[in-house]
Amino acid sequence: MRNVPTLLRREMNACFASVLGYVVLVFLLVVMGFVFCSSIADLLASGTTQITVMRRFFYWFWLPSLFVIPAITMRLLAEEKRSGTIEMLMTAPVTDFEVVLAKWLGAVVLYGLMWGLTGLYVLILRKFTGGLTSLDFGPIASGYLGVLLIGQFLIAVGVLTSSLTKNQVVAFLISFALVFLFVIGIWFGEYFARGTTFGKLFEYISCFTHMEEFARGIVDVRTVVLYLSASFWVLFVTTRVVESRKWR
Amino acid sequence: MQPMIKVENLTKRYAGVTALNGVSFEVGRGEIVGFLGPNGAGKSTTMKILTGFIPASAGQVTVAGCDVFEESLEVRRHIGYMPENNPLYVDMRVNEYLKFRAKLKGVARADRKERVQEAMERTGIADVQDRVIGQLSKGYRQRVGLADALLHEPDLLILDEPTIGLDPVQIRQVRELIKELGKQHTILLSTHILPEVEMTCNRVIIIHRGKILASDTPENLRKTLRSGGMVNVELRAPLADVQSVLPVVPGVASVTVTTGDDGMVYAAVEAKADADPREAIYQAAVQGGWTLRELTRSRTTLEDIFVQVTREEDEAEEDRRDQRRSVLR
Ligand SMILES: Nc1ncnc2c1ncn2[C@@H]1O[C@H](COP(=O)(O)OP(=O)(O)O)[C@@H](O)[C@H]1O
Ligand SMILES: [Mg+2]
Repeated sequence: MRNVPTLLRREMNACFASVLGYVVLVFLLVVMGFVFCSSIADLLASGTTQITVMRRFFYWFWLPSLFVIPAITMRLLAEEKRSGTIEMLMTAPVTDFEVVLAKWLGAVVLYGLMWGLTGLYVLILRKFTGGLTSLDFGPIASGYLGVLLIGQFLIAVGVLTSSLTKNQVVAFLISFALVFLFVIGIWFGEYFARGTTFGKLFEYISCFTHMEEFARGIVDVRTVVLYLSASFWVLFVTTRVVESRKWR
Repeated sequence: MQPMIKVENLTKRYAGVTALNGVSFEVGRGEIVGFLGPNGAGKSTTMKILTGFIPASAGQVTVAGCDVFEESLEVRRHIGYMPENNPLYVDMRVNEYLKFRAKLKGVARADRKERVQEAMERTGIADVQDRVIGQLSKGYRQRVGLADALLHEPDLLILDEPTIGLDPVQIRQVRELIKELGKQHTILLSTHILPEVEMTCNRVIIIHRGKILASDTPENLRKTLRSGGMVNVELRAPLADVQSVLPVVPGVASVTVTTGDDGMVYAAVEAKADADPREAIYQAAVQGGWTLRELTRSRTTLEDIFVQVTREEDEAEEDRRDQRRSVLR
């Protein structure tokens, strides 16, 4: 793991040097800003509490993520393969897992930073509600934790997708499809199988269930472990895919 | 002393293609060896196996005494590698890139700055160190690749087609640089351009269709692989005399005679293997009372050898195929 910090730093530099990163950031801020404004409009109209504003804010986290995650992960391994730089990378004394881990970590940090900027909206909310006392920071912090936790898993899926092809567009489309399936597919399953055993299963693995808990300030260790171990397995598979050049 | 590279019976099969078929060779410490072969011969495949990027299907490969598959990380520390087409991170600045690579290659923090500086100076890119790699000319990029290969002071440099895609001036510069580097490193470079090995290498390994056809110094290859070459003769003499005398001169294999408008007789003489018939031809001219205007020997170029060797191999391959076909029938 000695080389991970070096590789991570390179990843971060590449992110900040790319125009796409800023486009994605603006996209995220616009979408979440829109969600936020509509929530505040509701708040002012119907007199619901600010707590619901933040809940609704976190509920919609999947919408920008659907595009943001494929966009920030598509480049990672596909571009190295297309340009041939993967050969430089893998013939340096680094392990394949180090490379995969650094790619994932770089995207997670970037994703976290982008969401961090939506914190501005929370400050605006504070203005509206007239000071600290009426704003509960606990659920907000755990809500962000949920965003990061579910995000890091979906990013791992994006890294895997990026390892499967040389073509960034293909990588984007596949990971978009997978994220879509994970979010909307499970939501559909949960909705239509409601009341059956399947419904229970869907509910258990649904990111909506998890996000709702996080937004209410509940941090369930089982959920945390579930997502982290899921990412670990996805990254493990990704490493195998990267290594597969060796048995083809 | 153990050789720098030792390859025994190396075979590599891609899905459906046998890229290397029982390749064996050695590279001693301090040698500059040229790996010569047409496109698709298996040069890059061999290099990718040596550097641990892909494994062999069969065979033993050691670098500096370490097995490339079992001790891959250790082997990589011994090798400075420049892959085909020299892929680089085009968004990075030269010194930033080299610093990153030095870190990856485990150059100690205290030495890093110095090594990067030294590598840049040796390859002549110190003046572009703040430029973005993507904006450099191909020649400069090639030097960045070479500088990268040098960073961790490896024993062995493996350079895959280091001059491909460069203009003639850049090619000359890069070749000079390689020769210079050869004073301190063992080098294995691949090329499909003949003059390149003649100019830069102590030894040539000719590879074709995944097999090694020859391995020797350029001079020895010339000596052993080919007849004595061609001798050009220009004479003022009766055509009939020349036609009857020259073919029986000792050391002459065959003669083609033509006459020019100026009354000169031109004879293209093919010498027998390991023979130099020039003196005997001179004697014959003196005896016949001919005026001799030119008597020169054209040396076999590596190009001739290369064409000859690969042609022989192709013909042999064809024969085998014919045989198989007739057996099947
Ligand atoms: N990844 C690959 N998959 C399948 N075949 C390959 C692959 N890489 C190379 N080959 C084949 O192996 C042979 C040797 O290729 P290569 O080593 O690149 O030759 P060279 O570098 O001498 O031009 C060629 O026939 C090539 O088509
Ligand atoms: Mg090649």
